[in-house]
Amino acid sequence: MREAKIERFTAGFGLSAAASILLNALILVVKETNEHVMNFFKSLMGHHWVTHGAIVIGMFIMLGFIFSATNLPDRLDAGRILKYLIWAVIIGGSIIAGFFAPNLRAAL
Amino acid sequence: MFDQAVMMSHIVFGVFGILFAVALYMDVSNASETNLRRIKVLSWLVAVCVMLSYIVGGYWYVQYYGEHRNIIKAGQWPWAHTYFMEVKEHLFFIMLILSIYLPVAVHGGGLLAGRKARRLTQGVCLLIVLLGLFMEFSGGIIGKSITMALLRR
Repeated sequence: MREAKIERFTAGFGLSAAASILLNALILVVKETNEHVMNFFKSLMGHHWVTHGAIVIGMFIMLGFIFSATNLPDRLDAGRILKYLIWAVIIGGSIIAGFFAPNLRAAL
Repeated sequence: MFDQAVMMSHIVFGVFGILFAVALYMDVSNASETNLRRIKVLSWLVAVCVMLSYIVGGYWYVQYYGEHRNIIKAGQWPWAHTYFMEVKEHLFFIMLILSIYLPVAVHGGGLLAGRKARRLTQGVCLLIVLLGLFMEFSGGIIGKSITMALLRR
């Protein structure tokens, strides 16, 4: 049976979710290694984590609409989006877990 | 008392988000016209619970966690903050994004028409459940580290 095409918002926001998950890890590394960025984040919304969250969620929504408006969704099926999401979670999660891993030495 | 109520509701919303994601996973396995409405409702419930957990937890984190952090760092398990809290607070954004995406995937994914579309929704549910379990595990370690530190005093 031929797979039905998924709706363009499902594809666009799926792609956006994968990109935002990776962006989340990237922002973490940048703000934790650059004091100026960290202070800028703190000054924007009072707490670096609040600013970080606002940027990530904002990017997810914005990229979702942008990707949905392009012809990218026409070339993607649900299987490929799931693959992108799984890899984004593995890569993004590993960067986050790996970045703080040296702090675990105190536990050993 | 208020801060404890806030913390408890953060945990409760998180647990309900995980449970609804498990229920949604199972329901999507047998997706049909009969349960399509329930599938859509479950996808929204996951999103709402995780968002509420994020808002309530975020409020507690910004307002009250500073004091707890100092206790943890002076205690026997300082890595509960320097590793588990740091990882938890940033992994949460991944869970949040996936939860917001879930209703989008369910409403536009053609669940009744294709196996791949069902797999997409189930895959997202599975990722949410795994991340949620890590959140609960980390939260347990963070809570225990405060007890350990206070007992030592």
